[in-house]
Amino acid sequence: SQWGNNRRRNNRGGGGKNTSNQDNVVVDESNPILVAFQGFARELDDKHDRYEKIVKIGRDITIESKRIIFLLHTIDHRKDNAEKILAEAQQRLQKVRTTNFAEIAVELSGRDQYQYARAFSPGLQEYIEAYTFYEFSSGKDISDWEAIQERLTYKGEEETPPIKCLVQPVEFMLGLADMTGEVMRRCVNSLGSGDEDGCFNTNRFLQSLHAGYIGLSSTGNREMPKKMYTLRQSVTKTEAVCYNLKVRGKEAAKWGTEENLLDKGGDHGNADIDEGFF
Amino acid sequence: NIFTKFQESINAEQELREEIRVIVRQIDQSAKEAAIALQIMHTSISGISQGCLKAREHFEVCQKGYRKLAEIVPAGQYFRYSDHWHFLTQKLVSLVALTVYLEAGFLVARDTVGEVLGLEITQANGFHLELEDYLIGVLQMVTELARFAVNSVTLGDYQRPLAIARFVADLNAGYRLLNLKNDGLRKRFDALKYDVKKIEEIVYDVSIRGLVRNGAPPLINAPTNPQDVPDNKEDEPKV
Repeated sequence: SQWGNNRRRNNRGGGGKNTSNQDNVVVDESNPILVAFQGFARELDDKHDRYEKIVKIGRDITIESKRIIFLLHTIDHRKDNAEKILAEAQQRLQKVRTTNFAEIAVELSGRDQYQYARAFSPGLQEYIEAYTFYEFSSGKDISDWEAIQERLTYKGEEETPPIKCLVQPVEFMLGLADMTGEVMRRCVNSLGSGDEDGCFNTNRFLQSLHAGYIGLSSTGNREMPKKMYTLRQSVTKTEAVCYNLKVRGKEAAKWGTEENLLDKGGDHGNADIDEGFF
Repeated sequence: NIFTKFQESINAEQELREEIRVIVRQIDQSAKEAAIALQIMHTSISGISQGCLKAREHFEVCQKGYRKLAEIVPAGQYFRYSDHWHFLTQKLVSLVALTVYLEAGFLVARDTVGEVLGLEITQANGFHLELEDYLIGVLQMVTELARFAVNSVTLGDYQRPLAIARFVADLNAGYRLLNLKNDGLRKRFDALKYDVKKIEEIVYDVSIRGLVRNGAPPLINAPTNPQDVPDNKEDEPKV
């Protein structure tokens, strides 16, 4: 049929492009089916384009969040740079919130929040990881998802309801579980820089989180068991760090790190868990 | 603390999901009965209108079920729980579309399906009929029509496949207007060509044997000799 080939060629491009090709297709106006389908095409294009757009913004959020986490790892008590770094991290987190997330919120406004939640879920989790890690690093209490949700809610113009990026509790819990990996890394770094208290504090913190996660009943989320496994490994690692500190004193623990700190397996999987930085 | 609060939120969600499951199961039962009522089309042409009436009775029960669902699903959370009823809705769309086609011979409008099932058309109005579910449901109907084309010939109604062929050709053209992503709808659409082919073969069979009444309206896709049998490969994208 005459409408045949025009369509498919533009198909691969996905959302970003303006998929207006059906406007070029001349449709027999007397055929109600074709007229209806032209409307459907527009509706589907709008949805796919929006989805792609949100995915793209989400990716930017992921990248910036990872960089913020990396920045937070450069806190070193010997250099006494915590204050400066925390200030920078806070400012960058703020920027992600007021630019990228605000863009998503605009795309989502007036829609079912759950429809596009998957499009920016990785970015949101990474942001939660960065944000809670920032809170942990600055010694604050960890927020819950309601606090984050409040941060990601934007007042529209007057008399319009506020717009927001949905923060689902389960996504918060996944992001927080990711954060434990960063805390574990912080613990090992503290050991390297001779910050004995830092090691014990991170260990206690991870143990309490671990206890909390264990108590949860099944969430129905497929990612959760994987995160639990990783969390357990992180806890064991920090416990080994503290053990070494206790037994050998902090000098010995430092050179003992590489060889026998993490002897019970698991450490070799570290390369897979480490997501790396952009 | 965070964990007890989270546990509470999981518990609340699971309770609601359980309620949804119960209602979905009830609707599904009525959908099955409607499907059974419509099966008459494959064995008796004269029983069709009766079958459609019966099916419509079951649709009314489904409508009540959907109203109940709409009540318990919180506003703005349709997509949080919609996994529970996607398949069911697609099946029901195909049954409603089939009924309307058998009764009146045209493609049921999206609004009409909404009315029959008690669903809104746009997301903004609340519990709605998702466009993809409508489109997939219509494709499912085509598969049933392909089977109907075979059986109507067996039952001696040789004109029927021609009408079905014309209808399905229009639908095929319609689906080609869509830019499909690599998702469920795309997969289901890819199967449409087999139904089209099957129906065209039937049209070919009855045409070549002169079983179709002379003076039948000109047909878009009724080939009169083997060379004209559309080759589906022509519809594939040319790289």
